[in-house]
Parts: sequence; C-alpha cells; structure tokens
Amino acid sequence: MTRCPWYLAGPLFGLIIVGLRATLNKPLTGLGCYIDLAEHVATPQRLGYRAFMLFGFVIGGALFAATLGSFHFSLEYGTAGEVLPAALGAQVPLLLLGGALMGFGARTAGGCTGGHGMSGTSLGSPASFAATATFMATAVLLSHLYKLL
Amino acid sequence: MRSRIVGLFLGVGTGFIFAWARLTDPAVIRNMLLLREADVFLFMGCAALVAGIGARLLRRSGAHALVTNEPIGWIVERPRASTVIGSVLFGAGWSIAATCPGPMAVMIGEGQVAGAVVVAGMIAGLTLQRAVVKKLAARPLTAVSS
Repeated sequence: MTRCPWYLAGPLFGLIIVGLRATLNKPLTGLGCYIDLAEHVATPQRLGYRAFMLFGFVIGGALFAATLGSFHFSLEYGTAGEVLPAALGAQVPLLLLGGALMGFGARTAGGCTGGHGMSGTSLGSPASFAATATFMATAVLLSHLYKLL
Repeated sequence: MRSRIVGLFLGVGTGFIFAWARLTDPAVIRNMLLLREADVFLFMGCAALVAGIGARLLRRSGAHALVTNEPIGWIVERPRASTVIGSVLFGAGWSIAATCPGPMAVMIGEGQVAGAVVVAGMIAGLTLQRAVVKKLAARPLTAVSS
C-alpha cells in the first residue's frame, strides 16, 4: 500500500484532535497517554481515557497492518537513516536512551510533538510554539551532526 | 467508561493514520530531520490548521463536550525555562530514536517490537522526571548568610 499523502493524513489527524475536543474537551497528547499508563498500571480500574488512547494506537497500527499494510513480526529497528548501529544488541541501549530523554524531556516541557507540536500550536499557545521550535531545532541540528561524525 | 471508549476509538484512528502516513518508519523521520523531505512537517502543519479551525468553531458555537458536558474552551500558557530545557532533551531523544511518543506505540501494533524498547525508555524517563521533581521539591531550603 502506498503511503498516505500529507494533505490527506494531516487533515484526518486534525479531525481526530477536533474529535477529542468535541467529546471530552481535552488536547491530544502522546505524553499524557504514557503518564496515565505509568501511574495507574498497578490499579487498572483507575486507567483513564489517555491510557485507552495508547492502547488504541497499538490496535490502530495492527489494524492498518492487517488491512492496507502487511503485518510482519520483526525484531529489527533499522538504522534510522544510518545513524544507529545495525546490530540489535548495540541498538537497544541507544533506543532506551532516546526513549528516556524523550520521556524526561517531554514531561519537563509539558508536552511532545503531539501535545505541543500539533494540539498546543493549533490553539495558539506561546509555550507550545516555543517548545516546538526548540525540539525541532535540536533534533534537526543533532541529526545533521550525526551525519558528520 | 464512555471517555475510555472515546479514547480507545480515537486512538485506533490515530494509530491507523500514523501507520498509513509511515510515521512509524524511523527512516522517514530521519529524512524529515535531515530536511530531505517536507512531508512530515506538512502533515503536522495541516493537522494543526484543521485542529485549530475546528476547536475555534466549536468554542464560538458555544458547544459543550459531548461526553463530559464541559463548555468547550482552553487556557494557553506562556513559555518557561522548563519548556525550553525539556524540549532540548526531548529533541535530543527524538534525534537518536527517530520516532516520537505516538508512532513508537503504533510500531508495536505493526509488529515492529523494537518500538517497545523505546516505549520502555520513555516510561522510565517520565517516571524518573517525576522522582527528580519530587526530590527537588522536598529539599530543605538552606539559609544563605553573607
């Protein structure tokens, strides 16, 4: 299946954000989903809509793979554009580090690419514009630096 | 219960769109971060535009949220030092893994189980942040004498 073009996927995701606003009056944030799961995993009856949204992300990926895509179980992550080492064993510490920096950083900043980058900027939040400009610039700069090394 | 169903339903839609747009492929994100293709930037821009228009239309109409019955509205925040510091750390992590919080979960559903490693790191990071903030808040203030 060919990749969904940005001019279709972007507005569709925008409608999902509007849907969350229309039903629960909440912003869509990936970070919040993980916080909900991490804080309530020991007491599942207290899991909120955000944890269920995270479960939905996984199911949505599986649904795509089973319909328009092709499901294949794989342990490989790839080199993420020739930045990561090819061996999975060498990748694991780097992937853990990348995830930990994202978790620590997003919670400190109060959002991530979803919460700040799309939901917050759509509402005109100055904090979200500052966060988005900062994490975009950092990631772009470091990606170019990795290519030089 | 109804809010959980809404979350699950919208989460499935999000996961499907992210997978279809190949946001779950770290090589696609790397091409974005190396400024080789604009598709993901345009995706984000379009999503924010539609979300912004939709939210403002809902607020202007005086609508109430269908499930919570709250009047539609929101508060925006000014940036603080933590916004910038946290975003630098987030950007550094993003540049290593070439995935972000939504797509890393969708990867698992597609069968790319290495995405679970990034998820584990993400949960560890946000849990550690909470512990650090609590520890700093509990630290007794020390008097400074001149």
